[in-house]
Amino acid sequence: MNFDLSEEQQMLQDSVARFVQDNYELDKRTELVASKQGFSDDNWKTIAELGWLGMPFSEADGGFGGNQVDTMVMMEQMGKGLVCEPFFASIVLGGGALKRAANAEQKAALLPGVIDGSRQLALAYAELQARFDLHDVTTTARAEGDGYVLNGHKSMVLNAATATEIIVSARTSGGQIDESGISLFIVDPKADGVKLENFPTVDGLRASEVSFENVALTANSLLGELDGGFAVLNATANDGILALAAEAVGALEVLYKDTVAYTQEREQFDHPLSDFQVLQHRMVEMFMEYEQCKSLLYRATLESVQGDDATAQRNVHALKHLIGKAGIFIGENAVQLHGGMGMTEELRVGHYFKRLLVIDSQFGNADFHLQKFAA
Amino acid sequence: MDIELSTEDLEFRNEVRAFFEENAYKNGEDFNKWRMDWFAKAREKGGWDVPKWPKEFGGPGWTPTQHYIWEQETATANLPWDLPFGLGMLAPVLMAHGSKEQQERFLPDIRDRKVNWCQGYSEPGAGSDLAGLKTKAELSADGTHYVVNGTKIWTTMAHIADWIFCLTRTDDSGIKQQGITFLLFPMKQEGIEVKPIITLGGSHSVNTVFLTDVKVPVENRIGEEGQGWTYAKGLLQHERTGLAGISRSLVALEKLKEQAASVPRGNSTLMDDPAFRGKIAELEVDLWATEYTELRSLASAAAGAAPGPESSILKLKGTEIQQRIQKLTVEAGGIYSASWGAKPAGPAFAKNGMGGYMSSRAYTIYGGASEVQKDVIAKNVLQIKRSSK
Repeated sequence: MNFDLSEEQQMLQDSVARFVQDNYELDKRTELVASKQGFSDDNWKTIAELGWLGMPFSEADGGFGGNQVDTMVMMEQMGKGLVCEPFFASIVLGGGALKRAANAEQKAALLPGVIDGSRQLALAYAELQARFDLHDVTTTARAEGDGYVLNGHKSMVLNAATATEIIVSARTSGGQIDESGISLFIVDPKADGVKLENFPTVDGLRASEVSFENVALTANSLLGELDGGFAVLNATANDGILALAAEAVGALEVLYKDTVAYTQEREQFDHPLSDFQVLQHRMVEMFMEYEQCKSLLYRATLESVQGDDATAQRNVHALKHLIGKAGIFIGENAVQLHGGMGMTEELRVGHYFKRLLVIDSQFGNADFHLQKFAA
Repeated sequence: MDIELSTEDLEFRNEVRAFFEENAYKNGEDFNKWRMDWFAKAREKGGWDVPKWPKEFGGPGWTPTQHYIWEQETATANLPWDLPFGLGMLAPVLMAHGSKEQQERFLPDIRDRKVNWCQGYSEPGAGSDLAGLKTKAELSADGTHYVVNGTKIWTTMAHIADWIFCLTRTDDSGIKQQGITFLLFPMKQEGIEVKPIITLGGSHSVNTVFLTDVKVPVENRIGEEGQGWTYAKGLLQHERTGLAGISRSLVALEKLKEQAASVPRGNSTLMDDPAFRGKIAELEVDLWATEYTELRSLASAAAGAAPGPESSILKLKGTEIQQRIQKLTVEAGGIYSASWGAKPAGPAFAKNGMGGYMSSRAYTIYGGASEVQKDVIAKNVLQIKRSSK
């Protein structure tokens, strides 16, 4: 039993940390967020050249054969800078579905581009009525001729605007909330009948409402088994939760440490704020929650790599619950202890807090996962 | 990163389980004889009677992972009772700061469970601010002994203890952490009066100890005169890391779930009550996180590193979790938790629920109150410096 990173993981961590340090000072990030695309093509190229995009794919698929621990190492560092490039959307989500379900032909057509960064993916799983349930799907794909016809609407699709392929969950049989009867399709966002409405999210990223009106899909658009898409979607969502939690842990570290630093500089009542015990204890609580999140992140990630499926699933629920709860606690208090300055866009705490709020809302919030954990 | 136990660790776990099984108490057996035999056999295993003692003092020299396995297994096994004061608190001080003579004089009887010790630290005027203690020890004119006068309070098991290790003041001219002297003396002697304190749980475990002109030979002093605070501080750290009780809480939580599932509610049970179930789940998530915080702390200890920042939170989180389990036990007992002593009806666990809960309130007070722990973390881990203003 040990929690040490391997030499390769240590190097990966250092390399991502350096990238964040070089490219993600607040001003630079603010510029990126304000740009049309919301991220930097140069950064994306750098990330691809450094090989990070290939990390979670097997060597047979042209990747480096990394697992969830490697993704955790990268996402934690990216969380410290709130990296905007779509590693999460394209590699963890889109790539996660592809690597699990794609046939040889689909892999050959898409994975090289995904790994070298020339292609980007998006995963369209959410629907208006579904709240957090991945299996609540009304978008339909009707078999017609050799292929399918896709109709419906997907919500809050991350990175759809720059994606070359969108992976869409659609109902091919069964009732609205049945787990069986869901299939995944690889859809070209430029195809006839696909409409994107793009917008920025509160944390500076990009998402879209995507509608499909009689979109014609070929037989080879089907990703994985017909009616068997839920298992792929759920496993991908679990990886997504682990990755978001790692990003959150990176962000939480910045928040508590910035707060400790700020309260020692800022003076009121002729004292640095950090002289006041009520603030010291609050910061200790922030630190403790951060450490607890980190512990559970390690636990859930390692159980996902080494444990059985049921244990791993329960750990993922536990983790997403705690990350949501602790993220809001630490975020609110970081703003509170920075006082008026915490309310401004000039300091980074507010930006990190927004990201944590968005993370809580993705793939089920703290309450949702507590109920799943308790079930 | 790897959470799997090595083959050696798995073998060790089997060995521990087998030992506990072979030596379990059998109905009708003489309890005291069983207890002493158990420790003797544990000793033959290579120091299992003193798991935390270092190898050079006869301990087993386990790895941190082995310690963790031992903790896990002892949480479910029925072990003979033991008191921590001699074994876990005084012994490390003797090993680090006692003379060779003192070690040879006191350690064997501690190990053989022949002598029970109690800890003379807190005083009516010195609780969280322990260094403010005033119990006076004056060196006799001939320099052969100290004369001790003062009052100690919250002294656990003083009423059955044979000896006490006691912090006394020999000098009050400097800052309060200086001038404290660490003395050992027998409890059954003239000038010592022990008065019971009954706590909220209805039980007697703590006492007030009045010391009047108690004579203590100088050879019973640990280390140097005036240096007692340094020795005691190390001891407190020792005490705090042992108080998280994660393994025991994991077992207690499972028991609580069973109890709640036996409490009827409408057509189902209390475990089907969404609010109660939610509280159990929230507690379990926190416990899972704390379990890994402990593992991380053990792993860094195994690597020979100084305890990482994560270790500092174990006492705080661990004791809070223990209290929440007690609180939910009271909730599960419903109206029957109001019964005290004799119990008219209702589930068996409810009878002691309130007592257990009341007693558990002390967990966040002793061994450094939670608020003091937070001061310590702010200073040592977050490294917040108090300004000179």
